[in-house]
Amino acid sequence: MIKETNKIIDLLGGTTSLAKLLDVNLSAVSNYRKKGFPDRLHYKIATLCNERGILIDGEVFGKIPNNLPAFDTRPLEILSEVSVKVIENLVGKNFELIDPPVLVSADKVLDRLGENIADKLYIFSDPAGSRLCLRPDLTIPTCIHYLNNGFNGDKKNYAYHGKVFQFQNPSSYEPNEFSQAGLEIIGGDSCIENEIEVFYKTYSSIKKTGIKDLNIIFGDVSLFSLLIDVLDIPLIWKNQLKIKFWNDRNFKILLDELTIKKRNVNQLFEKISNLDKDTAKIFIRDTIGLAENQSPVGRSLEEITERLIRKSQEVKTNPLSKSTANLIKEFLSISDKPSEAIKKLKNVSNNIDSQLNDKIDKMSERIELMSELNVDLKNSILSLEKGRSVEYYTGFLFDYNYGDQINNQNIAGGGRYDDLIKSVSSNYDIPAVGAAINLDRLEKIISLEKFS
Amino acid sequence: MSSILLALPSKGRLHEQMNNFFESSGIILKRSGGQRTYSGFIEGIDKIEIIYLSASEISSELLKGNIHMGITGIDLIEERRTSVSKNVVMLSRLGFGKANVVIAVPNSWIDVDNIKDLSEVSSEFRSYNNRRIRVATKFRNITRIFFSQNGISNYRLVDSAGATEGSPAAGASEIIVDITETGKTIEANNLKILSDGVMLESESCIFSSTNDIWKDIDLQPVEKFLRIISARSEALGNAELLFDYIIDDKDLEINLFREFNASFINGSPNLGDSVSLISPLSMVPSCTYYLTSRGYGPVRTTRPDFIYNNESISWNLLKNSISSI
Repeated sequence: MIKETNKIIDLLGGTTSLAKLLDVNLSAVSNYRKKGFPDRLHYKIATLCNERGILIDGEVFGKIPNNLPAFDTRPLEILSEVSVKVIENLVGKNFELIDPPVLVSADKVLDRLGENIADKLYIFSDPAGSRLCLRPDLTIPTCIHYLNNGFNGDKKNYAYHGKVFQFQNPSSYEPNEFSQAGLEIIGGDSCIENEIEVFYKTYSSIKKTGIKDLNIIFGDVSLFSLLIDVLDIPLIWKNQLKIKFWNDRNFKILLDELTIKKRNVNQLFEKISNLDKDTAKIFIRDTIGLAENQSPVGRSLEEITERLIRKSQEVKTNPLSKSTANLIKEFLSISDKPSEAIKKLKNVSNNIDSQLNDKIDKMSERIELMSELNVDLKNSILSLEKGRSVEYYTGFLFDYNYGDQINNQNIAGGGRYDDLIKSVSSNYDIPAVGAAINLDRLEKIISLEKFS
Repeated sequence: MSSILLALPSKGRLHEQMNNFFESSGIILKRSGGQRTYSGFIEGIDKIEIIYLSASEISSELLKGNIHMGITGIDLIEERRTSVSKNVVMLSRLGFGKANVVIAVPNSWIDVDNIKDLSEVSSEFRSYNNRRIRVATKFRNITRIFFSQNGISNYRLVDSAGATEGSPAAGASEIIVDITETGKTIEANNLKILSDGVMLESESCIFSSTNDIWKDIDLQPVEKFLRIISARSEALGNAELLFDYIIDDKDLEINLFREFNASFINGSPNLGDSVSLISPLSMVPSCTYYLTSRGYGPVRTTRPDFIYNNESISWNLLKNSISSI
């Protein structure tokens, strides 16, 4: 196993012939002797060595991720062979390759992704005073591209690739800018076919690179919200459970609280509980001290009244039964091979509702379609928890990881986000499903995999 | 050996309050050159070089690890602390610049009293208005961390340069996070502070950046300086209570400590001793009542100028945190 860059260059015929093989000039190769091979050449060098039976150690390309450069310095016009393979496959026959904006409105991004991502964004003001940021992903810019082109519900199949920018703690050795390639189907119907198309195109693009050890995790966050919808519990709890769903700790606290009888903590609740909505509204307006056509600061009278009515009902309601709480917990804990997980899901939900049954059947339909497409599901998992930590997806979602279930690196992910366009434009309700691949990481893994 | 950089606030109220503090501590600050220069030294203590900066610059420089010590507010340190900041240790509170960072909502939100209410409202807000609830603040960092710890995720921060309290009435935000001494401006703007809405209790403090800038530093002058600072700041918050221990009560010592956080200077007293008790200033009325009603009167109270303990807490804090460097 050869570890030294110099030896490899010599074994490949020396500076001159390697320069020819790589189509670069001589000084570039002598630079490699000093600084090592640049990332974009790892795959090529690995292939050349492989063809010639030269056994080299993966270390020559550095270790993941410690050796990733802080800033990617490859020239823009040169894309690596891996990237080209991925992008060509993504575009295929029916996806349009687009070039979405690099600069996007910081407010739009924060509105969509939440303030917690703010410390990863490169935010600045332009001379006109607009607050902008470098795109942290390509999904929001793709939606902006769609809207900027005047579409309103028309189905568009987009493919894209390019740099994205996310600040990383220097001690993590993760790059602050890296390349992504991906797909979005915006508009049309919110249907399984589009999901499978995005899923399979992502899968086949990654597979094209020859990667082994790929595992897939599926989820569907709409299963949970439907479960909550069909349970026989007060509306106010349904809303609270859905809201807290995205944070496991807060969700568990809420679930425990709901199983305890509420005490009446607010005198207002008692006064309101016997009033009809209109009378309640007047009562609240008077309590606040507003004139007849005056509205409160920041929220409408309607909003405040409705919340107080819900709260006053909550006090009168019996606590959540232990069995319902356990059903919810059990439901969320399901995580297994897809076919097994679906069995468990059917078992736990036990025909409580036909709509829920349909949604579970939809999930098995997806898995069947994947099998028909010869997707290798050997190392895949369906997890009802999947997607909870990022408040982003609205339905089916998936992640591709390299390595085993415990020790792995994410290389791609995607899913359905039917509220995305609405959150960017606030005018249109347009479904969308998409996925993105981390090209830099994929390339690195392939270079290393060749020699492991 | 190089000297120690001590950064002090250069202007405004903080500057005046700091000057009063040093004056009352008997520490004399001198400017190098004339009154208007931004550097100086301490009379009688060598090797401490003073630089005058704005309070927010002092926080940044401490967190970058560029200066050894500095006086600034806890709020400014917490607001500027990031994942890449150097370790900054609070050596002593200084008893001035006290203010709270709080969450306040419009008075008309009669259904909102605490953070839990706000968390519910912020989530529901989105479904009523198709946008996130807006929080006006100049404390982005503190707000983000506090909100995430308290399960509030549906919100947006909007910048506020000054007059944050006016933001909801002006329609620029729904709620605010702001710093306040008395809460009066917040009240005057028809806002109310949530019952559990104090996010941070701030005060001016002396901080130290504990990284390798302390290498090759002569620590003796710092020790001298910090001993005075901690003796003065401890004295500021406390009163001394003098009385005669004329009734034997073996639970007195523990009760005084438990209820009033007060302790005897010379340890457990013997019957007939004239004793001296140190009690927090705010506890003096209740503590003297406790003593006199048990027959220990007359209790005389005084305000000490300094309390020099054998061990200076500030100095020990610094010594321990840089011992590994």
